[in-house]
Amino acid sequence: MRKDYQLPKFYDRLVCRTGAVSQAVGSAYIELRNTKIICAVYGPREVAKKQEFNIQATVACELKFATFSCRRRRRHIQDSQEKEYSQIIVQALQPVVRLDKYPKSQIDIFITVLQNDGSVLGGAITAASVALADSGIEIFDVAIGCCLRQIGDLSLIDPTYLEEEGRLNNEEEDEIVTNANVTIALLPSLNQVSALIMNGELDVDSTQRIIKDCLEGCIRIYPVVRECLTKSLEEKMSRN
Amino acid sequence: MSSSTLSEGRKQFIVDGVTQDCRADGRRCIDFRRFQIETGIVSNTNGSARLRQYGTDVLVGIKAEIGQPKQERSNTGHLEFYVDCSSYNTTEIDGHIGDFTTQLTKSLERIYDSENVLDLKSLTIIAGEQVWVLYIDAVVLECCGNLLDCISIAVKAALYNTRIPGVSVNDEEGVLELEISDDPNDEKKLSIDKVPVIVSCNKIGHRYVVDATQEEECCSSGRLLIAVNDRNNICSLQKSGTGSLDPSTIFEMIETARQAAVPLNQELLQTLKREERSNNDKCGFFAN
Repeated sequence: MRKDYQLPKFYDRLVCRTGAVSQAVGSAYIELRNTKIICAVYGPREVAKKQEFNIQATVACELKFATFSCRRRRRHIQDSQEKEYSQIIVQALQPVVRLDKYPKSQIDIFITVLQNDGSVLGGAITAASVALADSGIEIFDVAIGCCLRQIGDLSLIDPTYLEEEGRLNNEEEDEIVTNANVTIALLPSLNQVSALIMNGELDVDSTQRIIKDCLEGCIRIYPVVRECLTKSLEEKMSRN
Repeated sequence: MSSSTLSEGRKQFIVDGVTQDCRADGRRCIDFRRFQIETGIVSNTNGSARLRQYGTDVLVGIKAEIGQPKQERSNTGHLEFYVDCSSYNTTEIDGHIGDFTTQLTKSLERIYDSENVLDLKSLTIIAGEQVWVLYIDAVVLECCGNLLDCISIAVKAALYNTRIPGVSVNDEEGVLELEISDDPNDEKKLSIDKVPVIVSCNKIGHRYVVDATQEEECCSSGRLLIAVNDRNNICSLQKSGTGSLDPSTIFEMIETARQAAVPLNQELLQTLKREERSNNDKCGFFAN
């Protein structure tokens, strides 16, 4: 039983919108319960001359938690966690974008986490792909991110902030309860995993099980994203 | 080594070899290269280890210093990593050398700086105020592929070798004073039961290869870092590099890495125990 609502199942409160930032080429806003993420895509733009020549496009990402988004106040400067997240997002999106279509150019992705209530990395990956799709940059697929927290035998998909950090309340001191966090980015139509990150301690079977559960979580999010993108496209068409 | 420096013929040779489970140096796909490990070789550290393998030489030093706890974990000590690749002269690094070392440092920090790995509570001196911070610095003297795995083995060995001096807290009229004992019998060892080694699994052709050489890394179409501890549990997973993987590939990679890690962990522990018992004088740094 979870504190905020019953039954630990899937994103039943996922809100996804495109066109959140009017100046950007593409943008998206995502809400996973209390986690709110906004993402803007700029580019493709010419890379600075001093950088080395690259026949393929480069994807750059900057993720920032708003200073007020977490329990503790964040600093203005990107800290190591934000840098790590940015790097994982780049890794998740590189196989998605048709890099060969945009030689010598760079695609910039800016992500701001307005409110952090867990599952930020998964949400950010999804938001970034929706924004990419909205921008019209050619992509193979959308990357859907999903987080999962395993505590003992309990799997929590889309964990809240407390669940991400927490252990079971009834845990006894000497009893070792295994716990792990996993985040996956899935390209649903290609059935490929473009990012995978896990921390914790689990045996091989449980590891495989939670990866499967997490993949299933991604698949459940996909229709919401697809619906959001079709709707935004229809709106654009009717406007023209 | 960037992939462009390897000829197509050579690549084909490596891939074909891997397909037949016989690699260029005669190993099977799940075999690690043999390595030598020495511990306790830098006197100014609390723990140190040097790993030597064909073409690879990594030195890890651990210094324990009293510092303030991290904000988000005020009741436990923590680890700080730094990987120094400055003398590591290779063409593997496509981008900026800083990015390369930051990536290594990040991966190590993410995997090791966790309660699942070390008993970080035992590093607390005064909860919320003073804790032991372990500065773990790795110097890469020479490298021939599979750098992260080598560093992780050396880190585990250095942690095994680490001794933390005893500290007594004296309360003098409300002012807390720390006194570090210099009695060697008062030193504390760290438990490495749950400390993992990292096994990077590369997909080459249709097979999975551990401990890849630089040449093999060029032929790899996907890489997964898998951290496995002595209890054969998975402590961390991380997809590395570009490209994407099929879910079934990931499961097979995890299984391969676990199979490779069992003998690796056993061998490492035996070597460390043997080394500790023998306790002979180390002769020269670069000797033998």
